[in-house]
Amino acid sequence: MSEEKIEELNAADDEQQGRREFLKYVCASSAAALVAAPETAEAVAGAANPDADITVAEYFQGHFLLMSDEEKRQAIERMEKRYSAKYGKKTTVSDAPAPKDVLFGYALDISKCIGCRRCVHACVKENNQSRHDPEVQWIQVMKIPKGNISFTVDKLDKGYPEKSGFGDYGVQVGGNAYKAAGLSTEDAQNYYQDDAVPDKDYFYMPVQCQQCEKPPCVKACPVRATFRDHAGVVLIDYNWCIGCRMCQLACPYHARRFNWGEPNLPHEEMNPKTHYFGNRPRMRGVMEKCTFCVQRTREDRDPACLEACPVGARKFGNLLDPESDVRKVLATKRVFRFKEEFGTYPKFFYYMG
Amino acid sequence: MEDNTRRSFFKKAVAAAGVVAAAGYASTLVSKPSASNNSASTKYAADVVLQEKAVTGNHLVIMTDDEKKQRLDDLLNCHYHELA
Repeated sequence: MSEEKIEELNAADDEQQGRREFLKYVCASSAAALVAAPETAEAVAGAANPDADITVAEYFQGHFLLMSDEEKRQAIERMEKRYSAKYGKKTTVSDAPAPKDVLFGYALDISKCIGCRRCVHACVKENNQSRHDPEVQWIQVMKIPKGNISFTVDKLDKGYPEKSGFGDYGVQVGGNAYKAAGLSTEDAQNYYQDDAVPDKDYFYMPVQCQQCEKPPCVKACPVRATFRDHAGVVLIDYNWCIGCRMCQLACPYHARRFNWGEPNLPHEEMNPKTHYFGNRPRMRGVMEKCTFCVQRTREDRDPACLEACPVGARKFGNLLDPESDVRKVLATKRVFRFKEEFGTYPKFFYYMG
Repeated sequence: MEDNTRRSFFKKAVAAAGVVAAAGYASTLVSKPSASNNSASTKYAADVVLQEKAVTGNHLVIMTDDEKKQRLDDLLNCHYHELA
Protein backbone atom coordinates (compact mmCIF):
# COMPACT_ATOMS: atom_id res chain seq x y z
CA MET A 1 0.00 0.00 0.00
CA SER A 2 1.35 3.40 -0.87
CA GLU A 3 2.23 5.96 1.79
CA GLU A 4 -0.37 8.34 0.45
CA LYS A 5 -3.07 5.73 0.74
CA ILE A 6 -2.10 4.99 4.37
CA GLU A 7 -2.27 8.68 5.25
CA GLU A 8 -5.68 8.94 3.60
CA LEU A 9 -6.99 6.01 5.61
CA ASN A 10 -5.58 7.46 8.85
CA ALA A 11 -7.28 10.77 8.12
CA ALA A 12 -10.59 9.02 7.52
CA ASP A 13 -10.13 7.08 10.75
CA ASP A 14 -9.41 10.31 12.67
CA GLU A 15 -12.49 11.89 11.18
CA GLN A 16 -14.64 8.93 12.24
CA GLN A 17 -13.06 9.05 15.69
CA GLY A 18 -13.83 12.78 15.94
CA ARG A 19 -17.44 12.22 15.00
CA ARG A 20 -17.74 9.45 17.56
CA GLU A 21 -16.30 11.71 20.26
CA PHE A 22 -18.65 14.48 19.22
CA LEU A 23 -21.70 12.21 19.42
CA LYS A 24 -20.59 10.98 22.84
CA TYR A 25 -20.39 14.55 24.12
CA VAL A 26 -23.75 15.42 22.62
CA CYS A 27 -25.42 12.42 24.29
CA ALA A 28 -23.77 13.14 27.61
CA SER A 29 -24.65 16.83 27.50
CA SER A 30 -28.26 16.14 26.52
CA ALA A 31 -28.69 13.70 29.36
CA ALA A 32 -27.14 16.15 31.78
CA ALA A 33 -29.26 19.01 30.51
CA LEU A 34 -32.41 16.97 30.95
CA VAL A 35 -31.50 16.32 34.55
CA ALA A 36 -30.29 19.80 35.27
CA ALA A 37 -32.84 22.01 33.54
CA PRO A 38 -35.04 23.34 36.33
CA GLU A 39 -38.23 23.36 34.28
CA THR A 40 -37.75 19.77 33.26
CA ALA A 41 -36.95 18.75 36.78
CA GLU A 42 -40.13 20.51 37.87
CA ALA A 43 -42.04 18.81 35.07
CA VAL A 44 -40.73 15.41 36.04
CA ALA A 45 -41.72 16.11 39.63
CA GLY A 46 -45.14 17.24 38.45
CA ALA A 47 -45.92 13.87 36.94
CA ALA A 48 -46.21 12.39 40.37
CA ASN A 49 -47.74 15.41 42.05
CA PRO A 50 -51.11 16.64 40.74
CA ASP A 51 -50.65 19.93 42.60
CA ALA A 52 -47.51 20.76 40.70
CA ASP A 53 -47.74 23.69 38.36
CA ILE A 54 -46.73 21.79 35.32
CA THR A 55 -46.80 18.24 34.08
CA VAL A 56 -44.49 16.58 31.63
CA ALA A 57 -47.23 16.32 29.03
CA GLU A 58 -48.15 19.97 29.39
CA TYR A 59 -44.53 20.96 29.15
CA PHE A 60 -44.22 19.32 25.77
CA GLN A 61 -47.72 20.31 24.60
CA GLY A 62 -48.08 21.93 21.18
CA HIS A 63 -50.23 24.84 20.05
CA PHE A 64 -53.83 24.02 20.93
CA LEU A 65 -55.20 25.07 17.55
CA LEU A 66 -52.87 22.67 15.77
CA MET A 67 -53.67 19.66 17.94
CA SER A 68 -55.80 16.76 16.77
CA ASP A 69 -59.18 16.27 18.46
CA GLU A 70 -57.74 13.43 20.50
CA GLU A 71 -54.77 15.54 21.66
CA LYS A 72 -57.13 18.34 22.60
CA ARG A 73 -59.29 15.96 24.61
CA GLN A 74 -56.25 14.63 26.45
CA ALA A 75 -54.90 18.13 27.13
CA ILE A 76 -58.23 19.27 28.57
CA GLU A 77 -58.61 16.14 30.66
CA ARG A 78 -55.12 16.67 32.05
CA MET A 79 -55.85 20.28 32.96
CA GLU A 80 -59.21 19.53 34.55
CA LYS A 81 -57.55 16.89 36.68
CA ARG A 82 -54.71 19.18 37.71
CA TYR A 83 -56.89 22.23 38.46
CA SER A 84 -59.42 20.09 40.37
CA ALA A 85 -56.61 18.69 42.52
CA LYS A 86 -54.92 22.03 43.01
CA TYR A 87 -58.00 24.10 43.89
CA GLY A 88 -59.96 21.37 45.62
CA LYS A 89 -63.09 21.74 43.49
CA LYS A 90 -64.41 20.14 40.34
CA THR A 91 -63.03 22.34 37.57
CA THR A 92 -64.11 22.23 33.94
CA VAL A 93 -62.03 23.49 31.01
CA SER A 94 -64.16 24.10 27.95
CA ASP A 95 -62.88 24.29 24.39
CA ALA A 96 -66.19 25.43 22.93
CA PRO A 97 -65.50 26.91 19.48
CA ALA A 98 -66.30 30.44 18.40
CA PRO A 99 -69.89 30.79 17.15
CA LYS A 100 -70.43 31.08 13.42
CA ASP A 101 -71.73 34.23 11.73
CA VAL A 102 -70.80 36.39 14.69
CA LEU A 103 -68.47 39.35 15.03
CA PHE A 104 -68.44 40.51 18.60
CA GLY A 105 -68.43 44.21 19.38
CA TYR A 106 -68.67 46.23 22.58
CA ALA A 107 -69.89 49.74 23.31
CA LEU A 108 -69.49 51.80 26.46
CA ASP A 109 -71.43 54.92 27.36
CA ILE A 110 -68.98 57.38 28.91
CA SER A 111 -71.79 59.68 30.02
CA LYS A 112 -73.38 56.88 32.06
CA CYS A 113 -70.30 55.31 33.65
CA ILE A 114 -70.03 56.33 37.31
CA GLY A 115 -66.54 54.99 37.93
CA CYS A 116 -67.63 52.51 40.59
CA ARG A 117 -65.18 49.86 39.31
CA ARG A 118 -67.73 47.06 39.78
CA CYS A 119 -66.83 45.89 36.27
CA VAL A 120 -63.17 45.68 37.27
CA HIS A 121 -63.89 43.50 40.30
CA ALA A 122 -66.40 41.34 38.44
CA CYS A 123 -63.77 40.76 35.77
CA VAL A 124 -61.11 39.81 38.33
CA LYS A 125 -63.51 37.37 39.98
CA GLU A 126 -64.82 35.81 36.77
CA ASN A 127 -61.47 35.47 35.06
CA ASN A 128 -59.41 34.00 37.90
CA GLN A 129 -56.96 36.85 37.98
CA SER A 130 -54.26 37.19 40.62
CA ARG A 131 -55.92 38.63 43.74
CA HIS A 132 -53.02 40.24 45.54
CA ASP A 133 -49.34 41.07 45.11
CA PRO A 134 -50.39 42.14 42.55
CA GLU A 135 -54.12 42.20 41.91
CA VAL A 136 -54.08 41.85 38.15
CA GLN A 137 -56.83 43.85 36.48
CA TRP A 138 -57.72 43.73 32.81
CA ILE A 139 -59.85 46.88 33.04
CA GLN A 140 -58.49 50.24 34.11
CA VAL A 141 -60.97 53.02 34.81
CA MET A 142 -59.68 56.46 33.82
CA LYS A 143 -61.04 59.60 35.45
CA ILE A 144 -61.21 62.50 33.00
CA PRO A 145 -62.05 66.15 33.81
CA LYS A 146 -65.39 67.15 32.31
CA GLY A 147 -63.86 70.38 31.04
CA ASN A 148 -62.08 68.27 28.44
CA ILE A 149 -65.18 67.80 26.35
CA SER A 150 -66.37 69.92 23.45
CA PHE A 151 -69.46 69.18 21.46
CA THR A 152 -69.11 71.51 18.52
CA VAL A 153 -70.15 68.65 16.34
CA ASP A 154 -71.96 71.00 14.01
CA LYS A 155 -68.59 72.48 13.03
CA LEU A 156 -66.97 69.20 12.16
CA ASP A 157 -67.08 69.92 8.45
CA LYS A 158 -66.08 73.56 8.84
CA GLY A 159 -62.80 75.13 7.96
CA TYR A 160 -63.54 75.44 4.26
CA PRO A 161 -64.29 78.56 2.18
CA GLU A 162 -67.75 79.79 2.98
CA LYS A 163 -69.99 82.78 2.52
CA SER A 164 -69.65 85.64 4.97
CA GLY A 165 -71.49 88.87 5.57
CA PHE A 166 -69.16 90.53 3.11
CA GLY A 167 -70.03 88.17 0.30
CA ASP A 168 -68.62 84.99 -1.10
CA TYR A 169 -64.92 85.64 -1.53
CA GLY A 170 -63.84 82.11 -0.95
CA VAL A 171 -62.04 83.20 2.16
CA GLN A 172 -61.00 80.35 4.37
CA VAL A 173 -62.11 80.82 7.92
CA GLY A 174 -58.93 79.57 9.43
CA GLY A 175 -58.34 76.12 7.93
CA ASN A 176 -59.45 73.39 10.34
CA ALA A 177 -59.24 75.89 13.14
CA TYR A 178 -62.22 74.43 14.92
CA LYS A 179 -61.26 71.91 17.47
CA ALA A 180 -62.65 68.51 16.59
CA ALA A 181 -65.65 67.63 18.69
CA GLY A 182 -64.86 65.12 21.33
CA LEU A 183 -63.19 64.38 24.60
CA SER A 184 -59.59 65.01 25.48
CA THR A 185 -57.91 62.53 27.80
CA GLU A 186 -55.48 65.18 29.04
CA ASP A 187 -54.99 64.95 32.82
CA ALA A 188 -56.75 61.60 32.98
CA GLN A 189 -55.83 59.48 35.99
CA ASN A 190 -56.55 55.89 36.87
CA TYR A 191 -55.52 55.53 40.50
CA TYR A 192 -58.28 57.72 41.89
CA GLN A 193 -59.29 56.93 45.46
CA ASP A 194 -62.55 58.83 45.87
CA ASP A 195 -64.78 58.29 48.86
CA ALA A 196 -67.82 58.55 46.67
CA VAL A 197 -68.40 58.27 42.94
CA PRO A 198 -69.31 59.75 40.60
CA ASP A 199 -67.48 63.04 41.01
CA LYS A 200 -69.70 65.53 39.19
CA ASP A 201 -66.71 67.21 37.56
CA TYR A 202 -65.39 64.08 35.92
CA PHE A 203 -66.15 61.47 33.29
CA TYR A 204 -65.05 57.88 33.78
CA MET A 205 -63.64 55.84 30.97
CA PRO A 206 -62.88 52.15 31.52
CA VAL A 207 -60.11 50.91 29.22
CA GLN A 208 -59.60 47.27 28.33
CA CYS A 209 -58.58 45.21 25.32
CA GLN A 210 -60.19 46.83 22.28
CA GLN A 211 -60.34 43.53 20.34
CA CYS A 212 -58.89 45.09 17.22
CA GLU A 213 -59.92 43.66 13.87
CA LYS A 214 -56.33 44.17 12.71
CA PRO A 215 -54.56 43.45 16.00
CA PRO A 216 -50.90 44.53 16.10
CA CYS A 217 -50.33 42.20 19.06
CA VAL A 218 -51.10 39.21 16.85
CA LYS A 219 -48.64 40.42 14.24
CA ALA A 220 -45.98 40.96 16.88
CA CYS A 221 -46.20 37.51 18.49
CA PRO A 222 -43.19 35.52 17.29
CA VAL A 223 -44.75 32.15 18.10
CA ARG A 224 -48.39 32.88 17.18
CA ALA A 225 -49.55 32.15 20.68
CA THR A 226 -51.98 35.03 20.34
CA PHE A 227 -54.50 34.99 17.53
CA ARG A 228 -57.88 36.31 16.49
CA ASP A 229 -60.78 33.86 16.43
CA HIS A 230 -63.64 33.74 13.90
CA ALA A 231 -65.82 35.89 16.14
CA GLY A 232 -63.20 38.65 16.16
CA VAL A 233 -61.89 38.07 19.69
CA VAL A 234 -58.13 38.11 20.25
CA LEU A 235 -57.09 35.16 22.40
CA ILE A 236 -53.92 33.65 23.86
CA ASP A 237 -52.77 30.04 24.19
CA TYR A 238 -51.13 30.42 27.60
CA ASN A 239 -49.23 27.16 27.22
CA TRP A 240 -47.70 28.28 23.96
CA CYS A 241 -46.86 31.84 25.10
CA ILE A 242 -43.12 32.33 25.65
CA GLY A 243 -43.55 35.52 27.68
CA CYS A 244 -41.47 37.74 25.40
CA ARG A 245 -43.92 40.65 25.87
CA MET A 246 -43.68 41.74 22.25
CA CYS A 247 -47.48 41.85 22.09
CA GLN A 248 -47.61 44.16 25.09
CA LEU A 249 -45.18 46.48 23.36
CA ALA A 250 -47.21 46.41 20.14
CA CYS A 251 -50.59 47.18 21.74
CA PRO A 252 -51.46 50.89 21.28
CA TYR A 253 -53.76 50.70 24.31
CA HIS A 254 -51.35 48.77 26.58
CA ALA A 255 -54.25 46.51 27.43
CA ARG A 256 -52.22 43.35 28.04
CA ARG A 257 -51.03 42.17 31.42
CA PHE A 258 -47.94 40.13 32.12
CA ASN A 259 -47.69 37.69 35.01
CA TRP A 260 -44.46 38.90 36.57
CA GLY A 261 -44.89 36.59 39.51
CA GLU A 262 -46.82 33.45 40.35
CA PRO A 263 -50.50 34.51 40.37
CA ASN A 264 -52.13 34.47 43.81
CA LEU A 265 -55.52 32.86 43.36
CA PRO A 266 -57.09 31.69 46.62
CA HIS A 267 -58.70 28.25 46.30
CA GLU A 268 -62.04 29.40 47.65
CA GLU A 269 -62.24 32.29 45.15
CA MET A 270 -61.36 30.27 42.07
CA ASN A 271 -64.05 30.19 39.38
CA PRO A 272 -64.19 26.50 38.35
CA LYS A 273 -66.03 27.07 35.08
CA THR A 274 -63.22 27.88 32.70
CA HIS A 275 -62.28 27.98 29.04
CA TYR A 276 -58.93 26.92 27.59
CA PHE A 277 -58.38 30.35 25.96
CA GLY A 278 -60.12 32.27 28.70
CA ASN A 279 -60.18 32.22 32.44
CA ARG A 280 -58.33 29.03 33.29
CA PRO A 281 -55.61 29.74 35.87
CA ARG A 282 -52.48 31.16 34.28
CA MET A 283 -48.89 30.62 35.21
CA ARG A 284 -45.98 32.92 35.88
CA GLY A 285 -44.34 34.38 32.78
CA VAL A 286 -47.30 34.47 30.40
CA MET A 287 -49.41 37.26 28.99
CA GLU A 288 -53.13 37.67 29.66
CA LYS A 289 -55.89 40.12 28.78
CA CYS A 290 -59.62 40.64 28.32
CA THR A 291 -61.22 37.97 26.13
CA PHE A 292 -64.77 39.38 26.21
CA CYS A 293 -65.24 36.54 28.75
CA VAL A 294 -64.82 33.86 26.08
CA GLN A 295 -66.06 31.20 28.53
CA ARG A 296 -69.39 33.06 28.68
CA THR A 297 -69.81 34.58 25.24
CA ARG A 298 -69.21 31.26 23.50
CA GLU A 299 -72.17 30.00 25.47
CA ASP A 300 -74.39 32.89 24.44
CA ARG A 301 -73.96 34.75 27.72
CA ASP A 302 -72.88 38.36 28.33
CA PRO A 303 -69.43 39.29 29.65
CA ALA A 304 -69.15 39.61 33.44
CA CYS A 305 -68.33 43.35 33.30
CA LEU A 306 -71.56 44.03 31.45
CA GLU A 307 -73.61 42.06 33.96
CA ALA A 308 -71.97 43.89 36.86
CA CYS A 309 -72.52 47.41 35.54
CA PRO A 310 -75.21 48.99 37.75
CA VAL A 311 -76.05 51.79 35.31
CA GLY A 312 -76.21 49.89 32.02
CA ALA A 313 -73.29 51.74 30.50
CA ARG A 314 -72.04 48.66 28.69
CA LYS A 315 -73.49 47.09 25.54
CA PHE A 316 -72.32 43.91 23.86
CA GLY A 317 -73.46 42.18 20.71
CA ASN A 318 -72.99 40.90 17.23
CA LEU A 319 -71.80 43.51 14.76
CA LEU A 320 -73.17 41.43 11.89
CA ASP A 321 -76.69 41.75 13.28
CA PRO A 322 -78.29 45.16 12.54
CA GLU A 323 -80.69 44.60 15.44
CA SER A 324 -77.96 44.09 18.05
CA ASP A 325 -77.33 46.67 20.78
CA VAL A 326 -73.91 47.53 19.43
CA ARG A 327 -75.17 48.17 15.93
CA LYS A 328 -77.98 50.33 17.31
CA VAL A 329 -75.44 52.35 19.28
CA LEU A 330 -73.37 52.83 16.12
CA ALA A 331 -76.44 53.90 14.20
CA THR A 332 -77.97 56.32 16.67
CA LYS A 333 -75.40 57.58 19.22
CA ARG A 334 -72.44 59.92 19.25
CA VAL A 335 -69.63 57.44 18.88
CA PHE A 336 -65.96 58.31 19.37
CA ARG A 337 -62.94 57.16 17.46
CA PHE A 338 -59.92 56.65 19.64
CA LYS A 339 -56.35 56.21 18.45
CA GLU A 340 -57.54 55.41 14.97
CA GLU A 341 -54.22 56.61 13.58
CA PHE A 342 -52.88 53.14 14.35
CA GLY A 343 -55.32 51.60 11.86
CA THR A 344 -56.14 48.68 14.13
CA TYR A 345 -59.94 48.88 13.76
CA PRO A 346 -60.94 48.34 17.38
CA LYS A 347 -64.33 46.72 18.01
CA PHE A 348 -64.71 48.48 21.35
CA PHE A 349 -66.60 51.76 20.93
CA TYR A 350 -66.94 54.64 23.36
CA TYR A 351 -70.08 56.68 22.96
CA MET A 352 -72.38 59.18 24.62
CA GLY A 353 -76.08 58.60 24.76
CA MET B 1 -1.92 9.62 22.50
CA GLU B 2 -5.64 10.20 23.00
CA ASP B 3 -7.28 8.14 25.72
CA ASN B 4 -10.37 6.49 24.21
CA THR B 5 -11.26 4.15 27.06
CA ARG B 6 -14.72 3.76 28.51
CA ARG B 7 -13.44 5.14 31.80
CA SER B 8 -12.32 8.37 30.18
CA PHE B 9 -15.65 8.67 28.43
CA PHE B 10 -17.53 8.40 31.74
CA LYS B 11 -15.15 10.93 33.24
CA LYS B 12 -16.01 13.37 30.49
CA ALA B 13 -19.70 12.61 30.73
CA VAL B 14 -19.70 13.25 34.47
CA ALA B 15 -17.74 16.43 33.99
CA ALA B 16 -20.20 17.62 31.33
CA ALA B 17 -23.13 16.76 33.58
CA GLY B 18 -21.52 18.71 36.38
CA VAL B 19 -21.00 21.77 34.25
CA VAL B 20 -24.53 21.71 32.84
CA ALA B 21 -26.05 21.08 36.25
CA ALA B 22 -24.10 24.00 37.69
CA ALA B 23 -25.30 26.20 34.84
CA GLY B 24 -28.87 25.00 35.36
CA TYR B 25 -28.88 25.82 39.04
CA ALA B 26 -27.19 29.13 38.42
CA SER B 27 -29.93 30.06 35.96
CA THR B 28 -32.54 28.92 38.48
CA LEU B 29 -31.03 31.19 41.09
CA VAL B 30 -30.88 34.12 38.71
CA SER B 31 -34.43 33.73 37.41
CA LYS B 32 -35.95 32.80 40.76
CA PRO B 33 -38.58 35.31 41.95
CA SER B 34 -37.41 37.39 44.85
CA ALA B 35 -38.48 36.37 48.33
CA SER B 36 -41.14 39.02 48.48
CA ASN B 37 -43.50 39.39 45.55
CA ASN B 38 -43.01 43.13 45.74
CA SER B 39 -40.87 43.19 42.63
CA ALA B 40 -43.71 41.56 40.67
CA SER B 41 -46.14 44.14 42.04
CA THR B 42 -43.79 46.97 41.13
CA LYS B 43 -43.34 45.67 37.60
CA TYR B 44 -47.09 45.19 37.26
CA ALA B 45 -47.69 48.76 38.48
CA ALA B 46 -45.18 49.99 35.89
CA ASP B 47 -47.18 48.23 33.18
CA VAL B 48 -50.34 49.96 34.35
CA VAL B 49 -48.57 53.33 34.30
CA LEU B 50 -47.60 52.61 30.70
CA GLN B 51 -51.26 52.06 29.92
CA GLU B 52 -52.15 55.33 31.62
CA LYS B 53 -49.56 57.08 29.46
CA ALA B 54 -50.90 55.38 26.34
CA VAL B 55 -54.40 56.63 27.07
CA THR B 56 -53.73 60.14 28.37
CA GLY B 57 -52.95 63.06 26.11
CA ASN B 58 -55.17 61.72 23.37
CA HIS B 59 -58.43 62.83 21.91
CA LEU B 60 -61.62 60.87 21.47
CA VAL B 61 -63.14 62.40 18.36
CA ILE B 62 -66.82 62.13 17.61
CA MET B 63 -67.41 60.37 14.32
CA THR B 64 -69.73 61.81 11.74
CA ASP B 65 -72.44 59.56 10.34
CA ASP B 66 -70.32 58.94 7.26
CA GLU B 67 -67.34 58.00 9.39
CA LYS B 68 -69.44 55.62 11.45
CA LYS B 69 -70.74 53.97 8.32
CA GLN B 70 -67.26 53.78 6.87
CA ARG B 71 -65.92 52.28 10.09
CA LEU B 72 -68.61 49.60 10.15
CA ASP B 73 -68.08 48.80 6.48
CA ASP B 74 -64.34 48.48 7.04
CA LEU B 75 -64.88 46.18 10.02
CA LEU B 76 -67.26 43.93 8.15
CA ASN B 77 -65.03 43.87 5.07
CA CYS B 78 -62.05 42.89 7.20
CA HIS B 79 -64.08 40.18 8.87
CA TYR B 80 -65.39 38.65 5.65
CA HIS B 81 -61.96 38.91 4.09
CA GLU B 82 -60.47 37.01 7.06
CA LEU B 83 -63.15 34.35 6.78
CA ALA B 84 -62.51 33.96 3.07
